[in-house]
This record gives sequence, structure tokens and C-alpha cells, in this order.
Amino acid sequence: MATRQTTETNTAPLALLWQQMRGFRGKYAWAIAALFVFTAINYVTPLIASATIDFALAQKPDESRLTTRIIGLMGGADFVKERLWFPALLMVLLTIIAGGFSYLKGRFAAEASDGIARRLKDRLYDHLQRLPARYHDRAETGDLIQRCTSDVETLRLALASQVVDVSNAVLLLLTALPIMILLDGRMTLVSFVLVGPIIAFGYVYIGKVKHLFAEVAESEGQVTRVVQENLTGLRVVRAFARQDFEIAKFAEPNKLYRDRSLKLLHLMAWYWSTSDLIVLIQQGIVLFTGAFFISQGTLTVGTLFAFIMFLNMLLWPVRQMGRTLTDLGKSVVALNRMGEILSEPEESAPQNPATPPSPALGKIEVTDLVFGHTDENAAINGISFTVEPGETLAILGPSGAGKSTMMHLLLRLYDYSSGSIKFDGRELGDLDRQWARSQFSVVMQEPFLFSKTIGDNIRLGRGAAENEEIREAARLADIHDTINGFPSGYSTLVGERGVTLSGGQRQRVALARALLQDTPVLLLDDALSAVDAETESTILEALRSRHGRRTTLVIAHRLSTLAHADKVIVLDKGRIIQHGTHAELAEQDGLYRRLWTIQNALENEMLAETAP
Amino acid sequence: MKDEPQEDVFSDKLDLNLWARVFRHALPYQRLLVPLAISAVAIAVVDASFALVTRWAVDDVVKAGNVLNLWPHIAVYGFLAFSLAVGVWVFINSAGGLSNNMSHDIREECFKRIQELEFAYFDHRPTGWLISRLTSDCDKLARIIAWGTLDLVWAVCLVFMIAIILVVLHPVLGLLVLSVVPPLIFVSAIFQKKLLLSSRDTRKFNSMITASFAEALQGLRTTKTLVREQDNLREFQGLSSQMYGVSIQNALQSAVYIPIVLTLGSVAAGIALWRGGAGVIDGSLTLGTLVAFIFYAGQFFNPINQIAQVLVQMQGAQAAGERVLSLLATVPGIGDSEEVGAKLKLWDTPDRPADIAPDGHPAGIENLEFSHVDFSYSDGEPVLKDFNLTVQSGQTIALVGASGGGKSTIVNLAARFYEPTGGKILVNGHDLRDRGLAWYQSNLGIVLQGPHLFSGSVRENIRYGRLEATDEEIEAAARSVNADDFIRALESGYHTDVGEGGNRLSTGQKQLVSFARALLANPRIFIMDEATSSIDTETEQLIQQGLKAIFQGRISFVIAHRLSTIRTADRILVIDKGRIIESGTHQELLASNGHYHALYTHQFQQEREANLFESVG
Repeated sequence: MATRQTTETNTAPLALLWQQMRGFRGKYAWAIAALFVFTAINYVTPLIASATIDFALAQKPDESRLTTRIIGLMGGADFVKERLWFPALLMVLLTIIAGGFSYLKGRFAAEASDGIARRLKDRLYDHLQRLPARYHDRAETGDLIQRCTSDVETLRLALASQVVDVSNAVLLLLTALPIMILLDGRMTLVSFVLVGPIIAFGYVYIGKVKHLFAEVAESEGQVTRVVQENLTGLRVVRAFARQDFEIAKFAEPNKLYRDRSLKLLHLMAWYWSTSDLIVLIQQGIVLFTGAFFISQGTLTVGTLFAFIMFLNMLLWPVRQMGRTLTDLGKSVVALNRMGEILSEPEESAPQNPATPPSPALGKIEVTDLVFGHTDENAAINGISFTVEPGETLAILGPSGAGKSTMMHLLLRLYDYSSGSIKFDGRELGDLDRQWARSQFSVVMQEPFLFSKTIGDNIRLGRGAAENEEIREAARLADIHDTINGFPSGYSTLVGERGVTLSGGQRQRVALARALLQDTPVLLLDDALSAVDAETESTILEALRSRHGRRTTLVIAHRLSTLAHADKVIVLDKGRIIQHGTHAELAEQDGLYRRLWTIQNALENEMLAETAP
Repeated sequence: MKDEPQEDVFSDKLDLNLWARVFRHALPYQRLLVPLAISAVAIAVVDASFALVTRWAVDDVVKAGNVLNLWPHIAVYGFLAFSLAVGVWVFINSAGGLSNNMSHDIREECFKRIQELEFAYFDHRPTGWLISRLTSDCDKLARIIAWGTLDLVWAVCLVFMIAIILVVLHPVLGLLVLSVVPPLIFVSAIFQKKLLLSSRDTRKFNSMITASFAEALQGLRTTKTLVREQDNLREFQGLSSQMYGVSIQNALQSAVYIPIVLTLGSVAAGIALWRGGAGVIDGSLTLGTLVAFIFYAGQFFNPINQIAQVLVQMQGAQAAGERVLSLLATVPGIGDSEEVGAKLKLWDTPDRPADIAPDGHPAGIENLEFSHVDFSYSDGEPVLKDFNLTVQSGQTIALVGASGGGKSTIVNLAARFYEPTGGKILVNGHDLRDRGLAWYQSNLGIVLQGPHLFSGSVRENIRYGRLEATDEEIEAAARSVNADDFIRALESGYHTDVGEGGNRLSTGQKQLVSFARALLANPRIFIMDEATSSIDTETEQLIQQGLKAIFQGRISFVIAHRLSTIRTADRILVIDKGRIIESGTHQELLASNGHYHALYTHQFQQEREANLFESVG
């Protein structure tokens, strides 16, 4: 990952930005065109006032061709002098027209930047779903979410405002310069004396205080953390009457947060006052040089007026330039971070994936299966077994034996390194990944439910299912009565905004979902561990009554569950150490029998204790 | 109070009373108020004066007709520029200082208040809700206080200054130009409100999108096994389109707003040119004044925009302000009575004898008695009815029974987290309400079901039980509860950081640490709500031995889930519907073949079975 990061950072940032704008470049072109017209009109408007002042009021006709032209266009000095409402009206009309273009600019820029942001989010979402489980094992969820949300937002803001701001500033300069030079070359020179220093000052300054912004945000986070800990541990605080201690603990970050904010503010005060001063000096230079030229008779009041107006228009974006450039830099970083996700390869697909007719029979043959060791998964070191369609296989073993990994390999969440898994006689790796998955239904030990209603969560198993079928699946999973006990029944939302289900309830909802899927193979990965023994036996009884309908692989800890399987395999350290039926294994020396004996001993003990 | 605290209702009116109460927090900082006021006015005056200097220079130059000495003008201009810079510096520093201190104080007060409030307050307020009160609400309020007031003061001063100058320069023309101000304010207020609401929509969708990403990542395996990638994407696209919609709406609103305001500005400038030009022609106005008028006409936009924005933000933050203030105004429901307070004043001195409690009573706790106690939570549903129980020091009481039967209520009452709605609880024969609350609760040691640790080292967590304990005492406590061995086996021993909420330790380990913490406090009354989640057999044994050390010589209440704990209790109370339905030792209760017998055979048997496998494997 590190190497790719560097190569991508080396790509010119503007090229990266340009790439993302694909499909929206036309809109941007329109936005910038509209901005150009808007700017141009804004330059003309002060010239109307300027020409009116010079020709109609001061009556000191200037040599400048531009204002002469303008007064000419307005019908001549005398005409304007008689009808002063005319230039006034013209100014208002021009502003309205300019406003129209400003609207168009805003609209096009928003459509383009929001469109790009939406497309990026959709792409990221889709891509994340298609990345292999192995990628997600390593990746940090919080970091990924940040890249997909706040990084996209940073980019969107850059596209909506900063790109436009920079174009605006460039356009302003490009259009202002010729007009200003036409009006008066000397004044133009004078107007730009301090523009360079203003930009440089802003850029350097913002760069310097950047880390302070981060520090303030960090101490704000600390305050939040202390509050959060205090409130989640509220009972402990009360239990030890530690209120004063907690108040003292809070005071520290709270004070730090204030002091850092104050420090930042102090620096910002220097920034704003200094940049104000530089701007004012620039304006003063123009004013007094202009006044000097007027007194020499080489400049008119109107032209000076125009210059002051132009300068006002120019200085604001110029002052912002430091910040704009910094923000633009941030958006390039954001773009790179998103690029890292998008350049990760998706789950591999076989050359010509086979999609046999559904439903499959459900025969599973595993031969010499090997799966290498990763951080989270136990290794599999050569496992072979066969499950005939409709059979139930129980898998038993201590934690870390490779039981769940076995299930994950069947589901193609990971790719096995050697050996073979044949599904209905075809190699699993040659089948279409999604088709293969659609032949299995699975309930995990800690099942995930979506933040939808309970009914919709079960319906995820089969979108077209009737309500009655959903209820039937829920009854089978022994959760129907519980669901009906909720205020909104099947329409109760799962999660923060609805009910918080207990571990056992979640497992049963997930089981109902899996049963609704009605696939040839059912995988239960310690799926009823949080359900009490009585309920479990009810559920298993119900499943058993449908025995023969589907192949079932079950990982379980309770012996009562194992006893009813057609076959049992005992795993340890990625190998099968025992296999056979319950009856066979109970006779063999080994883990299975040891468990069986202890369970019996326990029952006897209980019997003795509870005997009257 | 099961409201949705995430987004605020938008208040239609500005509640001045509320804001007055908020700004009362500025009173301690009067030393900042003076420079703030002076600099705000100074900035406005100076800002508005620049156009006057321009006018002065232009008029003089035009009048003089030849080369003029501009130095006086330059000197005045330079002085103004410098004053403005100084003013801005003072203004930002004093306003920022004031607001940062105010929000610091408000946060601190809220935090203190939360510490004082009784438990009932937290029953119906989810932790997340309270956290957002103390963080996002306080921040929102702080931001308004900080930058909102800053902008508001600046803008109001500037607008007033310009208005005064215009009217003084030329009353008729001044009023004409000022006539665009009311529509400007009106339009700005409308649009700022629209913008606030639509940007709030954007934020709402944004957080939905964040949640959606989080769900996609957490449920990744489920998505893959259910082959739901396409459906998920379709749902997500629905969300991202809605987000696009509201975001565009927000952009279009400001795209419409800006041209309208610019147009109003140009109307003002047009009026100045038209009527002012006429004034120049008939000689009632100088050319410089006209130029100044046109400048001023353009200067209104910014400050008025600011005023509108701040006022609208204040409306938006009003709900946050109300919640913060109402939190501050909440009076703790459980506390020391006046009489107890008087006694505390008398006795709570450093030279008080060791056997006297700060409230003047003897310090020991020999027995605890529930006498005809009734209790109901705020919803009115009675939980305990005429509950009676006497416990002597050295006794361990195990409470068993179905959830919702009142077991937690009994221990919450024993801890005085709640007070009985009828009857009384007596300690050494005195009503608990006549004893000092802080004294009583400092005699408690409580271990909760989900053992909560604070982030920090193991040592710091144990020390929470008694802040002045030495390292030796901490380790001794850990040894007594059998926690020492596992702690030493951790990567940095007692210095190991347990992580947020103690999550780097297993549940069993957390429980052992919380035992050590409770033991270190050397409480007279020990209360435990036993963890239900299964713990491996080895840890289970450690815990049982640790518990024995704790139970010694105290009054102990245990909400018991484990067979082994129940067996060691002196007395088992089977609680159902707020009453004791059975009471006795394990053997006695089993022999009576009643509720306890049924509970034992059903519930506890499973526990053994569930733990079986790990002990063999």
C-alpha cells in the first residue's frame, strides 16, 4: 500500500482533480463562462458612474478613450447631465444582468461539484462492498468511513468554491488588467504594489497556524472523551462518590481547550489586523498617488474613482487566496486518500465462471483443504470430508481450531490455498462467486442485522417473500412471539432508533432470515450460543422435522446439539482429530467422550442435589 | 423524554430572555467588556471614516486646481489605518477571550451539574443524549457567543456609523440611500433562514450517509453471503440522490440570494448617483461627497448580511441554549437536608475524631434495614411494595429472581441512588435521609454488571477506589481478589493501559480489577450486580475466591446469576414482583422444592453446560 501511495501522490494534483471532473467538465466550462460575464459586467458598472462624474458633473473631459466611449454610448455628456436617472438605471440594470450570470455560475458549479461528490460516494460504496473480506480484516472502519464522507466533502467544497474562487481571481486579474492599463498605466502599476505581499502573507500565515487548528480540534476531542467516559461510567463515579475527582479531571482538558482556542485566536488577531493594515496601505497608496496626479492635472476624479472600485473588488479574493490555496492542498490529500481505496482490487472472479441451475443439490466434498494463516483466521491444514445432500454435519473443537474458517471458505469469503472443495461435483473456485453464495444460508455467532424493521431484516433472506412466509420462518426460529411482544411487532426498528435485541434474539432473527432463504445448504456457526438450552432444543426439533430438505453444517458447543447430527467431526489446530457418528465417537477414547462423560457426571450431581 | 435529540427544532421567534440569561455568563469578565465595546465602536468609526478622507482629499484636490500638499491627508489616513489595525487586534482578542471563557464556564457548570444530579434524572435520558448536551449543544452555544456576537457587534456599529455619516453629510440624500436598508434586512433574514434550514437538511442526510457507510462495513460479510451488493447499492444511491437534491437546493438558494442583495446595493448607488448628481449640478453637493455616497451605498451589504446571519443562527441555536440552561436549572432531587447540612458544617472538620462521621453520628455501619419500603419509578408503576429486610454487618445477601422483579431497585435504594416513595431505610437505626449523602456513599463499594473501567492504567483504575492509596496497597488489594497474577502477566503490568471503557481486558479481567477497586475503598456496604456473560472456568474460580475476600466483615448485596456465588451467600432472597417470595440458604431453599428449586434446575444448569466445553478443550 505504501508504494502505491507515493506513486499517486506524485501524480500532479491538478491532473487528479481534472480526472474526477470527467463528465462534468462542460458544466464547469459554463460556470466559468458565466463567471467571466459576471466579472466583466461588474467592471463596466463603476465605469458608468466614473464617466458620469467626469463628463456630466466635473466637466473635465479626460483624454482616456474608454470613458469617452462610454459617455458617448450613453448619449453624450449633455444628454446624461439632463437625465441623471439614466446612468443610475443603467447601473441597476447591469447589476441585475450580472446577478443572472452569478446565479448561473452558482447553479452550474453546484450541479457539477455535487454531481461529482455523489458519483464518488456511490463508487466508493459499491467498491467497498466488492473488496475481499481479507481487505476489510486489515482496514480500520473509522478511517474508511472518514475517507468516504469527510474526504469527499472536502473535495466537494474544493470543487464548488475553491476551483471557482481561483478561476474567479485569475479572471478578475486578467480582465481588470487590460481595462486598468487602458485607463491609466501608472495607476495600474501603483495598484499592484502590495498584491504579491498580501497573497504571500496569507499563504505563509495560514500554513503556520494550520497545526494550531488541529490542536484545537484535538483538545475539543479530549473534552468530548472525558464527558463520554464520565457519562458511560456514571454509576462507577457515583458508586465511589468521586464527583470532585471527576470535576477536576474535566477541568484540565476543558481549560486546555479554552487556552488553545485563545492562542489560536490571538494569532488570528495578528493575522487579521496585519493583513487589514497592508490592504489599507495599498488602498492609501492608490488614493494619494491618484490625488497627486489629479492635482497635477494628469488624472481625473472619475478615473481615480474607478481605480478605487477596482481595487476593492480585487483585494477581497486576493486576501482569501492564502486560505484558498491551503484548502485546495487539503482537497488533493483527500483525493489521494480516496484513490487508495478505489485502486484496491475487487474480489477476483474466475475466467469463465460457471452458474449451474439453481437450486443445487447440496453435496459438499472437501479434499486436502489447506488455508494459510492470516491475522484473524485459524489455519486449515489438510481437511477432507464429504457431506451428502440433506445430511447434517456437526463440527466440534476448541476455539482457534479452524471451525469458522472452514465455513468462511465454503462461503468463498476467503480463497483456499490448495486442496479442493467440490460443490455438487464442481470445483467451488470455478463457480460464480455470487451464485455459490446464493446456494448457502448462514447464521453466525454474532449475526449482523441491518437498521431496518425486524420484518424487513428477515425479508432480506428472500425479497419476494409473503408476510405469512416471514412469520412462518420466525415461528420456526422461535422468535415470532418475541417479535409480537414488541410495540410495533414486525415493524419494530432494529438498533438505536428501535429495540435493542439481545444476543439470543439477534441469533434467532438471523436464523429466521436464513430459513426464509431456503437454500440447499444451511451453515450454523455457533448460531444458537446465546439462546437458552430449552429454546435451542425447540428450534433444533423444528429444523429436524424438516430434515432431509437441506444439507446442514453446524458448529456447536452443546452436546445435545451434536448428538443429533448424522456425522460429527472434531477439529483441532486445523486438522480433523476424530470423525464418526455420535454413537461411534462416544465409544472412542478422545475429546468427544471426555465431554460426554463430564456432562453425564454433571447431570448426576444435579440429580443428587435436587433430590428431596 | 424519549425525544429525538439529534436535530433541533427551529424557533420562530428570538427568545431575548433566553439570550439574556446566556449572556449573564459574561458578567465575570467585565474587564474584557470595556475594551470590547471601545474597540467595536472604534472600528466602526474608523471603517466608516475612510470614505470621508477620500472625499476630503478629492474635494481639496479639485478645489486647489494645482499641486497640493497631501501630507496632512496622508497623515490622517495613516493614523486611521493604524488605528483600525489596532482596533481589530483588540476587538478579536477581547471578544474571543470573552466568548471562550464563557463557553468554558458553561461547559464546566454543566459538567458539575451532571455530577450532582440524582440517578432518576438519567433513567430516561440516554447517555448519548446527555453527551450531545455537553458537547454539541455547548459548542453550538459557544460558537454563537464567540463569533456570532463578534460579527453582530461589528456589523451593527458599522451600519449605524454609516447611517449617521450619510445623514450628517446630506440628510435628504442620506435618507434616500438608507431606504434600501429595510428591504435588505428583510431579504437577508428570509434567505439566511432558508439557508440554515437547508444546510441542516444537508447535515441530516450527511449523517445518514455516514451511518450507511458504517453499516455497509460492519455488515460486509452478511451482505456478501446474502448476495445483497446490488440492493444495498440501490438503497445507498437513493440516499445519495436525496443528499444531492438538498445540497443543490442549498446552493441555489444562495445563488438567488446574492444577486438580489447586489441589486439592492446597486439601487442605493444609483439613487446616490442620480439625486447626488443633481445636487452637484445645482451646487448643493460636492463631487467628493457624491463619491463618498456611492462608496457607502456599496458598504451596506456585508454588515447587514452578517446581522441577518447571526440572528438566524441564534434562532437555530435557541433549542440548544434552552436545553443547556434547563440542565443548569435542574435542582438535584437527592441531597442533604438543611438539618444534615447544618450538622455537616459543625462536624466536617479535619480534627474530628475518627469514630465520628462528618454528620455527627458514630462512623461505623452495623446494620441496614428496609422498613415497609414502597418504591416506584417516575412512570408510577410500583416496583416494591411494603418491602422489609434487615441485614447485619458480615452478612451476604444474594438476590435472585426474574428480571424486572425489583432486584436492581433494592440495591439502588440501598445505595441511596434513589429514595423510597414510602417507608424508610435505616442505617444503624437512623433514617438514611438524616445522614450525610457523601459520607454514606463513600462507604459503599459497588461492582456493576458490565464492569466499567476508565481509560488509563490498571493501577489508576484500582486507585479510583481510594485516591490516596499507595502502590503497595493497590497491589495488596489486587492480590486479595486474585487479580495480581493476571495483571503482572499483562504487557506493562500495572501500567498497562486498559483502553476506552476497559475494552482491552476481557470481561472476567475487568471484573477482577473492579473487585480490587471496590476492596481498596474498604467499603462498609458492598453491592454487586453479577455479570451474566460466561467466563472461563479458571477465571470463574479466581473470581469466587476474590469475592470471599470482599464479603468478609461487610454488609454485602449480590444480584446473583452464578451458582457458585449463590451458594456462598448467607441468605438467598428470591424476589418476585417487588416482594420476597422465598428466603433461606441454598440447602433450605432446595429442600422446600419451591421457586428456587425450579430456577435452579432450569437456569443454572445451562450455565454449567455452557462453560463445560471450554474447561475440557
